[in-house]
Amino acid sequence: MSGAYKKVNRGVTLTLWERLYFPEVIRGVLIAAGHFVPNFVSVTKAYFGGKPSDRKIMTIYYPEEKPVLPEAYRGKPVLVRARDGRGKCVACGLCEVACPPKCISIVGGQREDGTRYPVTYVLNGAVCIFCGFCEEACPEEAIVMSDRYEGLCEYDRKPMVYDKEALLVPEEKLTRRLDYIRRRMYGKWNY
Amino acid sequence: MADIFPGPDIFPAGMLPSLVEMMAKIIFIFTMNMGVFAPLLGWVERKQSALMQDRIGANRADILGFTVFGLLHTLTDAIKLLTKEDFIPEGADRPLHYLAPFIAVVPALIAFAVIPFGGQYDLWGHKTNLVIADLDVGVLFVFAVASISTYGSVIAGWASNNNWSLLGGVRVAAQMLSYEVAMGLALVGIFMVYGTLRLTDIGVAQENFLHWGIFLQPLGFILFITCALAENKRTPFDIPEAESELIAGYFTEYSGLKFAMFWMAEFLEMVTISGVLVALFFGGWQIPFVSGAALARLFGFLGPNLAQVAVMLVHVAVFWAKILLWIFILMLIRWTLPRFRYDQVMKLGWKIILPLSLINILVTGLVMLLVK
Amino acid sequence: MELLMFYGFGLLALFAGVAMILSRQPVTSALLMILNMFCLSALYALLDAHLIAVLQLLVYAGAIMVLVLFVIMLLNLREKKGIITKHQASLQVVGVAAFGFFVMTVVSRLNTAALPKSKAASAGFGTVEAVGRILFTDYVLPFEIASVLLLAAIVGAVMLAKSKV
Repeated sequence: MSGAYKKVNRGVTLTLWERLYFPEVIRGVLIAAGHFVPNFVSVTKAYFGGKPSDRKIMTIYYPEEKPVLPEAYRGKPVLVRARDGRGKCVACGLCEVACPPKCISIVGGQREDGTRYPVTYVLNGAVCIFCGFCEEACPEEAIVMSDRYEGLCEYDRKPMVYDKEALLVPEEKLTRRLDYIRRRMYGKWNY
Repeated sequence: MADIFPGPDIFPAGMLPSLVEMMAKIIFIFTMNMGVFAPLLGWVERKQSALMQDRIGANRADILGFTVFGLLHTLTDAIKLLTKEDFIPEGADRPLHYLAPFIAVVPALIAFAVIPFGGQYDLWGHKTNLVIADLDVGVLFVFAVASISTYGSVIAGWASNNNWSLLGGVRVAAQMLSYEVAMGLALVGIFMVYGTLRLTDIGVAQENFLHWGIFLQPLGFILFITCALAENKRTPFDIPEAESELIAGYFTEYSGLKFAMFWMAEFLEMVTISGVLVALFFGGWQIPFVSGAALARLFGFLGPNLAQVAVMLVHVAVFWAKILLWIFILMLIRWTLPRFRYDQVMKLGWKIILPLSLINILVTGLVMLLVK
Repeated sequence: MELLMFYGFGLLALFAGVAMILSRQPVTSALLMILNMFCLSALYALLDAHLIAVLQLLVYAGAIMVLVLFVIMLLNLREKKGIITKHQASLQVVGVAAFGFFVMTVVSRLNTAALPKSKAASAGFGTVEAVGRILFTDYVLPFEIASVLLLAAIVGAVMLAKSKV
């Protein structure tokens, strides 16, 4: 049978010490133990009245502990309610155009004082792909991506279609994201 | 076996204490194995592997908000396995399919009968020897029983009427056969050094720390632990149940309690292996540099009998602590090393371990001759 | 107690032996043979020959029968019709006659031969030390011849296997 197969050298040549295998086994076991012992100590410490940060393992105990999200995180898109109580949106329709899956539909209107506002603003959350293009397209900082990621899924499609009331969020709650937009995105576009 | 099968005079007047002692020992070992180790090792394995890999491991099951480090998963596992459908595939050999898990579990339990978990003590004038059956053939009994447990896996593989199971069964047969020989020969050195097969005698001989098996037979120890890992069918040698190749090998077609029995057999084998390792190489119940007599003097204020009881308890605790340590190390090895290939397993068994164990016997004999 | 166990294991061994021959499935036969060996080992243990009992378990039940099972499983032998089809009836008659002759011979010998009175085993009988001492003093020549024979068998097997690969 010899010669029926070809020996392939995968570029791995072991030294004699490695070929003995046993010392390498001990080394591997020691490495694994080196992971086990600090983790064991830290987890035990955290369990008995320590802070969660005492745990050296990065895993987050999700429903009890929430992750700290980066400011660039794109969650549910929301409309900004300005400090005077009115929405910032002027119903220009740029987000509607920019939206790749076409999940936004706006019917615009005019207030008594002549400012424009959306009469209806419907964002279909079941279609949205969380790309953030609406945020980039918006000239008024009226629609931004929030950091909300919970409760976006439903067993029915109907509750996932958000109207204006479901989308409006006070500006105070979005300062972090708005700061981020001004700092990063406008800088990127050389405003 | 004379202790297990006494002659016609089974109940003479003076036998009652011995009988009580025997029952107590059997119940103790049984509870330790079935009540403590069999359920808990599943949790230990999960948790330890998680911590080794910087994960957290099972921690969700709780009663009134108490998770107790995920210990309650043991309970949920038990409930799940008990309530699962016990499925027997079509075309399977039904009686053998039923029989296989029992053949796997029982040997793992009875192998512990010859392992001493403490020394000899004189309690209220009654000689107590902390081993269920102090057999003259000692370790050979463990081997014999271990070889019987092979049938559990082989029959399971054959009776399942499943290609993967059959392949697993064939692999078990080949692997067990290969490593049994090497394991037996690896221990011959130990028998030569101590001049006995009786595990209690070997335990007594290890009272001196420097006479522990690990110092007298380092090569024998390495060879034995390798073979023991192979006999245990756990990861570096888990080709019979290699998940990525054979689904679950010989117990692919098992579910519910019978599946649990195979896992139990594996864990109990691990306890037995640790027991043999401790008894042969790590001084059994002995504490380094502290002899039983010295301990008895330390507890002397309790009076002669209670002091003996205290010494006994300490020795038993030390023995089980050593076993726990070894289980920890076996788990470390299991979660560190990748699986060998089939040909590598065979090559390691026949071409490396077997010759090395023969050389070990030769060298041991020569050294013993020279020392004499 | 001992007698009861003797009869129990003896009957089980007989049953296993007969069932092994009668069974048509190779794997069942092999398993019944293992049962038979197990019972034999128990009988040895009852005779105070512990080493022999454990070795019986270890070598025959534990190793050789695993090998047999291994081969059966590897070849995947299933239930087969009898191989011999010609002269079946006459062969059966011959077989029964031969077996009857054998049984009669054994029975007649048992009747006439004076069976040695069973006596209690001396202290240390059947221990590893005792068996080893006998093996390496009185029976050292047969022992060594057997080992040479086994070595020859191993070498022969290796040679046969090598020419095929």
